[in-house]
Amino acid sequence: MSGLHDLQAYEVVEGIKQGLFSAEEYFSSVIKTLEHVESRLHSFITLDTDKALSCAKVIDGKLKANEDIGQLGGVVVGIKDNISTKGIRTTCASKILESYVPSYDATVIQRLKQNGAIILGKLNLDEFGMGSTTEYSSYYPTHNPWNLDYVPGGSSGGSGAAVAAGECTVSLGSDTGGSIRCPASFCSVVGLKPTYGRVSRYGLISYANSLEQIGPICRSVKDVVMIMNIISGKDNKDDTSMSSSPITINNKLEKFEIAIIKDLIDGSDDEVKRTIYSASEKFSDIGCMLDEISIKHLNYALPSYYTLASAEASSNLARYDNIRYGFNLPIEEYKWDTYFSDVRKNFGEEVKRRILIGSYVLSSGYYSKYYLKARGLRSLLKLELLKLFKKYDLLIGPTMPILPFKFGEKIDDPIKMYLVDINTVIANLAGIPAISLPVGFSNGLPIGLQIMAAPFEEQKLIDVSYALEQAINIQRRPKLE
Amino acid sequence: MSQVKIGLEIHAQITELESKLFCSCRGNYRDQRPNTNICETCCGLPGTLPIINKKAIEYSAMTSVALGCSVPDKIIFYRKNYFYPDLPKNFQITQYNVYGFSSIGIGGSFELDDSRKIRISRIQLEEDPGRIAYLEGGTNARNSALIDYNRAGVALIEIVTEPDFTNPKEVRLFLNKLSLTLEHLAVCDTLLEGSVRCDVNVSMNGGNKVEIKNINSFKEVERAINYEITRQTNMYKRSIKIVSETRHWDDRKKITFMSRSKEAEHDYRYFPEPDIPMIVLGDKFIANIRNHMPELPNQRFDRFVSGYKLSEHASNILINDKKLADFFESILKLYFSPVEIANFLITDFKSMILDDAESTGYLKNMKVKPEHIAELVKMIAADEISRITAKDILVKIFESGMLPSEIVNDSNSLKIADEKILMDAVESVFNTEKSAVEDARTNHEAINFLLGKVMKYTSGRADPKIAMRLINNKLKKPNA
Amino acid sequence: MISKDEIEYLAKISKISLTEDEAKKFPEQLDKTIEYIDILDELASDHSIILDLQEIKFDELRDDVVRMSGALPITRNLTEEGFLKGPKMK
Repeated sequence: MSGLHDLQAYEVVEGIKQGLFSAEEYFSSVIKTLEHVESRLHSFITLDTDKALSCAKVIDGKLKANEDIGQLGGVVVGIKDNISTKGIRTTCASKILESYVPSYDATVIQRLKQNGAIILGKLNLDEFGMGSTTEYSSYYPTHNPWNLDYVPGGSSGGSGAAVAAGECTVSLGSDTGGSIRCPASFCSVVGLKPTYGRVSRYGLISYANSLEQIGPICRSVKDVVMIMNIISGKDNKDDTSMSSSPITINNKLEKFEIAIIKDLIDGSDDEVKRTIYSASEKFSDIGCMLDEISIKHLNYALPSYYTLASAEASSNLARYDNIRYGFNLPIEEYKWDTYFSDVRKNFGEEVKRRILIGSYVLSSGYYSKYYLKARGLRSLLKLELLKLFKKYDLLIGPTMPILPFKFGEKIDDPIKMYLVDINTVIANLAGIPAISLPVGFSNGLPIGLQIMAAPFEEQKLIDVSYALEQAINIQRRPKLE
Repeated sequence: MSQVKIGLEIHAQITELESKLFCSCRGNYRDQRPNTNICETCCGLPGTLPIINKKAIEYSAMTSVALGCSVPDKIIFYRKNYFYPDLPKNFQITQYNVYGFSSIGIGGSFELDDSRKIRISRIQLEEDPGRIAYLEGGTNARNSALIDYNRAGVALIEIVTEPDFTNPKEVRLFLNKLSLTLEHLAVCDTLLEGSVRCDVNVSMNGGNKVEIKNINSFKEVERAINYEITRQTNMYKRSIKIVSETRHWDDRKKITFMSRSKEAEHDYRYFPEPDIPMIVLGDKFIANIRNHMPELPNQRFDRFVSGYKLSEHASNILINDKKLADFFESILKLYFSPVEIANFLITDFKSMILDDAESTGYLKNMKVKPEHIAELVKMIAADEISRITAKDILVKIFESGMLPSEIVNDSNSLKIADEKILMDAVESVFNTEKSAVEDARTNHEAINFLLGKVMKYTSGRADPKIAMRLINNKLKKPNA
Repeated sequence: MISKDEIEYLAKISKISLTEDEAKKFPEQLDKTIEYIDILDELASDHSIILDLQEIKFDELRDDVVRMSGALPITRNLTEEGFLKGPKMK
């Protein structure tokens, strides 16, 4: 089935502007797809269809009145449900925020709206972003559109599945340790985790502030560029945000020096290995030099990541005491501290585990053994990578060491689950940009290539990804009829 | 005599700030309906981020310099994690000194008097929590706490001293001087309710340290320490071991009591605040602060004594009341007669406002302005009015805000120097006080009595010099 | 090995009450996680402790200006006087 919902965002905007179809026609096509597949995928937690439809009509009205419809005029966007949307319930897939309706828009949402984007609804995730499968969502897991028995990746699983299935044209995810790139890889779409500070975090509900960024999940590199240029930039509501120059699509590729991270290949499943090697052959086809390196501090990366992320999470999630916002639980019979503990019982298991670990690594006596060492490792890793980037433009490897797996396969063993993040956490620890690009399939299950660059070198990621996208010919859309 | 060691932790709000420490809500939260001076950030709504107030860093750096602390090149913030319903995020953003990073001020000292110095261990910038109101006896007080976040996020400067005090009097002296300094820096209006708070730790004979929290005014601090010293002395006498603990000051019962609630779990799990990057102050910043330091109380004292030639006594009285000292100096701009103006202010003027002096803003809201006092003192100096009359006029200025010259014209209160009018008065007195007149011919004391009567007859407006001359002349005449 | 007491302590300072099921399986799970991150201890303490921190210049910080939107972020559980109701303190 091919229709307007299949179009890329840049095609949608062109089409509407040229009068090939109306925003409403395109919108209806997206909704029709959604109605067709959502009961099987469960990508969304909350839909705001009526409001979205009226926004589509506004776009058509503007066009008729010869007004500017904006760079994203009419494009249907899905938002990971840990990004604050004014008037639309924002749950973080947690029971704790079951009935929380924010009074403000995240900066990225403001920017999307200003540019004519239509917010369709809120996408599923692992509770507060903690997980790699969406199985830790307190509501329901999202299913992989390429094979419904398999996980879509996480934590931005809803964002990956919805875009792959055509339930929205682009989506926003957030990436703390791989949460954009993992579902992008598992759902065969393009996902970018920007340089730390490139995109404002104002309105992104914190899991681990020092590691995470909001980023786009799209069906093409061109769309990634389009979204990035809208959401990037210094924001006076986020002191960790920075200004950056826009990125562009270049048709001519520079001769980049690229290095494969050998350790990441070695640690991967055979099918993944094969696909990544064959994809990397394309690099020479498009004129790049290929080398192999290893990362000295790699073994410490994941322990360091889990230490820091849990520490920050334990503090970030302290505010959920149900006094100012949350769900309905009468206060009358409680003393405050019992009330707090009882309220917070409603966190899911994984969230509780990370809060406890976070409290542990920060508590007196353990701070210098774990937290401080993890910070130290983080610095060393960053220095090592920056040194590598003096020699190489880009570092590559598989986004995920394994293929998408079935529901329930890893959920009982937290460590097993943590291990799948090994390739992605590096970029978060070092604050560098990283993209996941679909490069192939094994038994109908998608495989993604991860490309990393030095801080604020997103242009290099885009240049090589765009060239590779042209060079690799794979099936682009799952069959969900 | 047992040896006492006392250390202080003082929290002073930066009341001069327009906005809060991490958001753009009003810094002045007072007298507003609960939960109206709030925004997404200071309520800790999910996804909000702290955006630090530039001016708060300047004020805290100024305070650090005034207390002899060094200010580092770079500062960072920490999270102090604990749960409490007045804390919207259930952590407080504060500063902490570990691993080579420091708060805005470290290692200072503050002069108590010529011979004693109190060491300042550190000064840090942090956010104030909200407030919990307890309704006494109300029906809705039974089951819930009433929370108001208007104050949440207001900038606080925390000043931590070494345990250098040996008695409560030193503490009082220190807090007075500190208040004065904060006011001269224009950092904190210490008279505002709740703008300064103090935690105290007390140890005796090298024993365990007891912390007293919740002392909500400087006035109560001395009392709380005295109570604690007595308590510990009694325990010592009865050989009861003093345990390291946190006690609370009960403002109504005037006792300290053991607290079980939040401080029992003081594993604060500090770590660097990830939402605020390390702030690079740079060389220029600190040079700028030093170059633009407001005049401190000691410097002002020196200037008053050597520049204005005021007595040390008068200088002290003025400077101990910053608003009065400021008032004094604005009068000088209109009429430069420092000694006379100072004398007038610290005697006649101050006695009149004494009742009112504790309340804040007493000089701001008064009808008496510098031009009033300037004119009044000028009239005294020109002998146009007596000091007694001046005091009457001052009362009228307080009431009406009229200028002294207007009041004089109005009520004809100028000194009576007209000999004809005065002669009438003298004659009238001589007629009614016949025996005193007889006395006065031989007894000098009685002359003063007659002068008093003349003054009374003229409602104090007679020029005493002329009246005295007239009385003497008349006494010399026989058959007067 | 992380003890039951330690987990109870962590739960207490984190204000989380655990379900029976969690109380049963968390000790082993958390123990594995801690064992996993124990590798960090191999890092020497001296040179590795660099807190690589992002920087911001003083001049870039927010000016002290009041800006209030008028919309109030708390709407539920308010008393007539405007206080937010919380559970009792004592």
